[in-house]
Amino acid sequence: MGDHCEQTMRNLSGYIDRELSDADVRQVKAHLDDCPPCDKVFEFQAEMKRLVRKECCTDDAPARLREWVRQLATEKPKPAG
Amino acid sequence: MSSDFSLFERHVDALYRSALRLTRKPEDAEDLVQETYLRAYRYRNRFKPGTNEKAWLFTIMTNVFRNRLRQRPAPEDPLDAPGTDFSIYDQLRREGMPVHLMSPEEIIVDRGFGDEVKHALEELPIPMRMVVVLVDVEDFSYKEVASILGIKIGTVMSRLHRGRQALQKKLWEYSGRPKARPVAVGAH
Repeated sequence: MGDHCEQTMRNLSGYIDRELSDADVRQVKAHLDDCPPCDKVFEFQAEMKRLVRKECCTDDAPARLREWVRQLATEKPKPAG
Repeated sequence: MSSDFSLFERHVDALYRSALRLTRKPEDAEDLVQETYLRAYRYRNRFKPGTNEKAWLFTIMTNVFRNRLRQRPAPEDPLDAPGTDFSIYDQLRREGMPVHLMSPEEIIVDRGFGDEVKHALEELPIPMRMVVVLVDVEDFSYKEVASILGIKIGTVMSRLHRGRQALQKKLWEYSGRPKARPVAVGAH
């Protein structure tokens, strides 16, 4: 694994989470275009993140909780529970 | 005085699903969200209009949650040994799977790693779980998470890193530690 690969792997989370500076983004992108093995790791980790989000976004608040919050928002709070 | 409390209403689903990951129980999650909104209501004049109301609500909720933990100490989850890097991708590669020829979906979905994400997440130690939920599910920035939890950005990053690895390790374990299935990779 070359220096570029190591550096890219160190920056991979930041890249996936959109936390890098523009300069670092360009560097990571350039390396991923050149290096299929690193690009595969990137694709995999990015998919894991998407999966966590997708799987965990399926639980909506129960209707009675939603209604309770709505009442609070209209400044007619009832005791909790 | 504040009539725009309805601004906070729209985050009830986000708060609830995160509360569920933290408490693991629907009735506890509902209770946590109620207390969060009651506090938000009581302190609504402290909210600065124009700032991120979702982050403000999550700050309240994580504080309430941590206070409750202190009152009713649950047995502490064992932290995975730090420093042991783990990824499903590397693990499969080591076992001889031609991961470089597979799409992420083929690796994750077809091999069943996706089925128990919630369960795996709920088994992570709480400090890691909070960071993974806030970043990966709620899409907060590292800086926002640092502010919500009152920790340094470096701590956010290391917990996120360890949390994601621990999550993949759990998924790997649930999948019954798939053994390498030797696959003829091309004829060349």
